[in-house]
Amino acid sequence: MNSYLAGIFIGLFMVLAYYFSGEGLGASGALKSVVVASVDAVNHDYASNASFFKARVGGEHSPAKTWLVFEVLGVIAGAIISAAFAGRLKIEIGKPTHITNKKRLIAALIGGALFGIGSQLGRGCTSGMVMSGMGVLSLSGFIGLIGIFGGGYIIAYFFRKLWI
Amino acid sequence: MNKSSILLVVLLVIGAFGTFIIDTTQREPFDKVQPCDLIDIIAQTNKFVTTDELARKIMSDDPTLTIIDLRSKTEYDKYSLSGAINIPLENLSEEKYEDVLNQDVRTVIFYSNSSDLAVKAWMLTSRLTYKNIFILQGGLNRWVETILKPKPPKETALRTEFEMYSFRRAASSYFGGGSTVGETTIKKKVALPIKRKKKSAAGGGCD
Amino acid sequence: MGPLFPQELISEEINILIGFFIGIGFGFFLEAAGFTNTKKLAGVFYGYDFVVLKVFFSAAITAAILLFFLNHFGIMDISLTFYPKTFWIPTLIGGFIMAFGFIIGGFCPGTSICAAVTGKIDAMVFVLGAIIGIFAYAFSFDALWKDLRNSGAMGNVNIAEWMGISDGLFILLLTVVAAVAFFAVTIIQKKVTANRDYEL
Repeated sequence: MNSYLAGIFIGLFMVLAYYFSGEGLGASGALKSVVVASVDAVNHDYASNASFFKARVGGEHSPAKTWLVFEVLGVIAGAIISAAFAGRLKIEIGKPTHITNKKRLIAALIGGALFGIGSQLGRGCTSGMVMSGMGVLSLSGFIGLIGIFGGGYIIAYFFRKLWI
Repeated sequence: MNKSSILLVVLLVIGAFGTFIIDTTQREPFDKVQPCDLIDIIAQTNKFVTTDELARKIMSDDPTLTIIDLRSKTEYDKYSLSGAINIPLENLSEEKYEDVLNQDVRTVIFYSNSSDLAVKAWMLTSRLTYKNIFILQGGLNRWVETILKPKPPKETALRTEFEMYSFRRAASSYFGGGSTVGETTIKKKVALPIKRKKKSAAGGGCD
Repeated sequence: MGPLFPQELISEEINILIGFFIGIGFGFFLEAAGFTNTKKLAGVFYGYDFVVLKVFFSAAITAAILLFFLNHFGIMDISLTFYPKTFWIPTLIGGFIMAFGFIIGGFCPGTSICAAVTGKIDAMVFVLGAIIGIFAYAFSFDALWKDLRNSGAMGNVNIAEWMGISDGLFILLLTVVAAVAFFAVTIIQKKVTANRDYEL
C-alpha cells in the first residue's frame, strides 16, 4: 500500500480515538498493563506497596481492563486481517541474510528490553507518545521524536553490521 | 515519487494551509467583537428589565428566574433582593459560576446599586455568548424609588400610571417597603445551584 | 461534542469496544504499510527504505490538521483528551534508550506486536524482551528511575505556543518540512539502492 495513504488512514484512526475516547494510539502502555496485572495476580501485597505498581492497581477493574489493552487486541486482529489478505501470514525470522538466526533473536531480545525500559522512562513509545503527541502538538512528542530518531541516526553507524 | 504519492502529499500541504489561514484570519469570538458591534450591543434595549417587571416575576414565584447580585459580599448581606445569588463582579468569571450563568433555560437578571456594574457584567457575559442575561434597569436605586417607595402620580396622569402605582404599592407591601423602608426583608437565601457535568481529561495513553 | 468518553457521553463498555475497533484500523494499516518487516523499519536509518518516515509523518500531520479543525470549530475539546505532559529530561533520555532498542531490535512496540502475531519469530522475541524490560524497570523503579522520571517537568506544553507562533503556522511549517523531506528521501533512497541491492 502507498505509504502516505497508510499514514493518512492511521492519522484518521488516531483522530477517531481522540474523538470517541480521548485517547491516543499506543502500544507499550498495554504491555505495561499486562505486566502490572500479572504482578498483581502473583503477589498482590507487593503490587499494592511498590510505588511503580501502587498507582496502577486497586481500581474497580483489573489493571488489564484498560482502553489501551483492548486497542492493542484490535491491533492484533487488524494486523492478522491485513496480513491474511496480502498473503503475508508466514512463520519466519525477519532478518538480513548475513545475520545468523541466533544473533538476530538475541539482538531482538536486547532491543526489546531497551525499548521496554525506554518507553517507561520516557512516558510512552513511538506511537503512544511521539505520534499521538505530535498530533496534539505536544512538546513532549517532538522531544521524543528527537530522542528516538535523532538518537537513532547518531548511533546507526555503530550498529550497521546488524543490518547492511 | 509516483503520482498518487505526490497527490497525497499535496493534499496534506493544502490541509495544513487551511489550518494556517483559518488560524490567522479567524480569531476567537473575543477578538472578533469590533467597536461598532459593541455599540450595537450596548444600544439594544431588550437587555434591560424594568423594576416593575422584576417585581412581578418575583411575586409570581417565577421558577425560571435567577437573580444575581453583583455587589460586594458586605453590601449583599446588608440588603438584597429576595432569592438573589451574590456573585461580586470581580468573581464573575470564576468557573464555579459558569453553570449558573451559561445556560439557556433560566432568565438571569443582574443588578447592582445603579446599572453600571450590571452593564459591565452583561458585556462580559455577552462576549462569552451566554444567553438570557438581563440587567435590572436603574439597579437597586430605581428599585427603592419605584417599588419600595412609590410616589403617587399627578392627578392629571394617565390611567395606566395609576394602575402602575397601585401595582407598585401592592409590591411595596409585598417586599416590606412603605413605612418600613430600609429594613431588611425576609428573604430566601439561595444556595448556588451547581451541577457540573463530570469533565476530566483522559489519562493513560502509552505512559 | 467530543471527546465523548471523558465527558461520560458513552459508557465504559462502548468505549472499550470502540477502542478495539480503532485498534483494528491501526493494526490493519500498520501491517499494510509494511511495518512488520524489520528490514524496512531499519532502512530509515541506513537510507535504503524510508517507509517509517513517510507513514509516521503523514499520520501525525493528518491527525494534527484534523484535530486542529475539530477543536477550532468546537466539535471536540482537545484539552479534555490525553495530552502527553512534557518531562523533557526523561523523555529525551528515554527516547535515546529507545533509539538503541530500535536499531538493535529492529522494531518498536506497536510494530513488534503486529509482526509477532503475523508470524515473525524475531518480533515475538522482541515483545518478550519488551515485557522483560518493563519488569526490570518496574522492579528497579524506586532505586533507579523514580527521581529521573519526574525531573524536567514542564506540564502541558503546546509546541507552537512554546515557540511563540500560532498552531496553524506551526502545522504549516511542519507539513512543508515533511513534504520537502519526503521528496529528499525519495532521491536519497534511489541513490543508496542504486549502488547496492538491499533485500527487503
